[in-house]
Amino acid sequence: MRGATSAKWVAGAVVVAMAATACSTSKDSDSAGKSGGNITVVLGEPQHGLVGQNTAESEGAEVLHALFTGLVDYDNKTNEPKLAVAEAIDTTDSKTWTIKLKDGYTFHNGEKVDAQSFVRAWNWGANQDNAAEGLPFFDKIEGSEELAPGKDKKPTATELKGLKVVDEKTFTVTLKAPFSQFKTMLGYNAFYPLPKAFEADPKKFGEAPIGNGAFQMDGAWDHNKQIKVKRYDKYPAEGRAKLEGVTFKIYDNLDTAYNDLRADNIQIVDKLPVSALATVSQEFGDRYIYKPESGVGYLGLPLATNPEAFGKIEIRKAISMAIDRDAITKTIFNGTRKPADDFINPIIPGYRKGALGEVGTYNPTKAKELWTQAGGVPGNKIELGYNADGGHKEWIEAVANQLKANLGVDVTAKPYAKFGDMLDDLQAKKYKGAFRMAWSMDYPAAENYLRPIFSKVAIETGSNYGGYVNEEFETTMAEADKATDPAEGLKLYQKADDIVIKDLPYIPVFTYMSSSAYSKSVKNVEIDAQGRMDLAKVELN
Amino acid sequence: MGRYLIRRLIQAIPVLLGATFLIYLLTFAMPGADPIQLLAGEKKADPLVAAMLREKYHLDDPFLLQYWNYITGVFQGDFGETLSGRKVLDMITEAFPYTMNLAIVAFVIEAIVGVVAGIMAALRRGKFIDQLVLISTLLVISIPVFVTGFVLQLTLGVKLKNEWGIDFFSPSFNEADGFRAYLLPAFVLASTSLAYVARLTRTSLMETMRADYVRTATAKGLPRRRVVVNHGLRNAMIPIVTFLGADLGGLMGGAVITERIFNIHGVGGLLAKSVYLKEGAVVVGGVTLLVLVYLIANLIVDLLYAVLDPRIRYA
Repeated sequence: MRGATSAKWVAGAVVVAMAATACSTSKDSDSAGKSGGNITVVLGEPQHGLVGQNTAESEGAEVLHALFTGLVDYDNKTNEPKLAVAEAIDTTDSKTWTIKLKDGYTFHNGEKVDAQSFVRAWNWGANQDNAAEGLPFFDKIEGSEELAPGKDKKPTATELKGLKVVDEKTFTVTLKAPFSQFKTMLGYNAFYPLPKAFEADPKKFGEAPIGNGAFQMDGAWDHNKQIKVKRYDKYPAEGRAKLEGVTFKIYDNLDTAYNDLRADNIQIVDKLPVSALATVSQEFGDRYIYKPESGVGYLGLPLATNPEAFGKIEIRKAISMAIDRDAITKTIFNGTRKPADDFINPIIPGYRKGALGEVGTYNPTKAKELWTQAGGVPGNKIELGYNADGGHKEWIEAVANQLKANLGVDVTAKPYAKFGDMLDDLQAKKYKGAFRMAWSMDYPAAENYLRPIFSKVAIETGSNYGGYVNEEFETTMAEADKATDPAEGLKLYQKADDIVIKDLPYIPVFTYMSSSAYSKSVKNVEIDAQGRMDLAKVELN
Repeated sequence: MGRYLIRRLIQAIPVLLGATFLIYLLTFAMPGADPIQLLAGEKKADPLVAAMLREKYHLDDPFLLQYWNYITGVFQGDFGETLSGRKVLDMITEAFPYTMNLAIVAFVIEAIVGVVAGIMAALRRGKFIDQLVLISTLLVISIPVFVTGFVLQLTLGVKLKNEWGIDFFSPSFNEADGFRAYLLPAFVLASTSLAYVARLTRTSLMETMRADYVRTATAKGLPRRRVVVNHGLRNAMIPIVTFLGADLGGLMGGAVITERIFNIHGVGGLLAKSVYLKEGAVVVGGVTLLVLVYLIANLIVDLLYAVLDPRIRYA
């Protein structure tokens, strides 16, 4: 008993000490917001040179977002595109687009942002010799096949036929086929402009890019340590940054970044580690931002390689209805995911609540009924493939158990070391089981949740790993592309969404939530749908 | 002695060459996905872009040709490029100083604290100090490094500042803090080895203190200090030096966990990431460097034997 008493004493002393220090630190957080100042935020080492056309990963995109401003930008709340560098983006047929630029945007070296700076950037990105990761984004533009004729062939042109500079502030874009979502797409970083200085040495440029954004580089990228940026004072007044400068400190490990945030050594962490999620809302209160993000998690089905098992719609429906999405998102993900009820993510214009309807609702009895009606799967066996390096084991095993219990089928979870390993097996048609899959958007359009995953062309170049083909879906998408009225187009994309819902080639399971937190020394922190910080708005307290 | 040294250095060349070949072979033969797809993460790499990159980095060449291109490059001072276009030599020379500083600070902590604790325990056998050393080292050995690391990071890095207002340690490594920045991670890195060194010193010294020549020295009337240091400790040092020498290499290459916890971008983390991404050139470069460190540490240990024990002579 003596031990217990002294332990209480110690605990009491700690509480007293904590209360005492809490009083002493609370006084420095009540001053009014002010312009200027420097903050440090978290970043992972970007993969390669900071060139928008060559960046397809989130860390590089985060820095590019501070350094560049595109033709359009997205509203942090509604995700609707709004004009940024562009003054007007007009079309009458969704095929030829006229883009007019605003005055007042300059690159950080003083050069004007003109029509040529966009054309230059897009021509570079579209040329296969540069092997830029953004290359597929240009293949809608007329003449792209001349710049990217394919492996073992040489490009026959260096300029996209579809891009015409009209005058310093105007250019036109001609697409191969109408595409009503073109304007929405233009906020993606592959469409950022590039200054003349880029052409001299693209590689060197990537180490210290000269952009047109609210922040400019402050020295070159210090690899694996930090990237420093400072306010660009000639940026148009309404979007000008409040802070003097921002240091992106590079972390390999989010747990460490989170501890640094708690000690106020850094001010914003926009991707919290899983270990923090249990306590963060208590510790950070309203400085904890928890909002839906653009990702969707699916269970993919190999329709083309294993039609014997997954070819029947009843089977796919049965699997979908045998999954208890609520239980998975609540117990396994602690509420950091939400049950999916549409193929289109909830934050995207065009999402319809409950669009999945019956098939998205947990109903083990109906599931079992459909399953028996369709005669089950050959051998009464299903495999669920997943990559073991991304925290997917728990939910895949939960799904496996639910299917086992509700359908009476023998389910085994099959781990792959890496995502790429699973892709290899899927592409080689060696793997015939269901598989975990996820998608997060490139740009906030309903179309971006359908074409890259379910269209015929995506079997070759996109993420249609199931090999789903439906001609009606293809024609509906093409019709939606042709629409000139955005509302009309959206309706048609929703019609295409309905076709996918009816066919259920993948089974949507959950959508992602993003969680971020910031220290008490900053305010006005906003995170956009792509999980990027809106640094220009941030202020010191 | 000089000839011995030269012979040892010449012997190191085939070891190093063999190491590069084996490691290159291992990264090449590693099962699994295409490195280009690994770079693309969870989205499929565009087939055309992937094909162009494969061509650019000669990924479709047969293994021997790839190795030949790599090794001839190395002899011309070109250690290759990663798939994201960075020079491997730059990456290693950036990372190496951190690892080396961390290893040296850790090594000093482990050697000094470990040996002193061991001596104190050995000389006061069964007393309080001996019990303290035994129990505390047992505790340290039984707790995994990442636990020690996270606990110290949270208590000294976060709580100390937030609750006591003492801003001395940081949860992550800050280069601007200079030497102070290395203290906490180096202590964490050294902790396990420190415990081993203390226990090894204790046992080894207790054994030599029972030897005949120590009794003779005491009987001759030498002061206790000389008996312990010159006769006892000198002879007890051989196993300790062997351990420390091997451990220096371990501290360099085995700092992956500590580096990760404290966000030090050293060789360990670089290698771990490169193995994951199948960046052969970085893995070979980094591991070869570690092999070199091992070889040199071993050589120094062998030379130290002769210093410690006059019966050992190198010709």
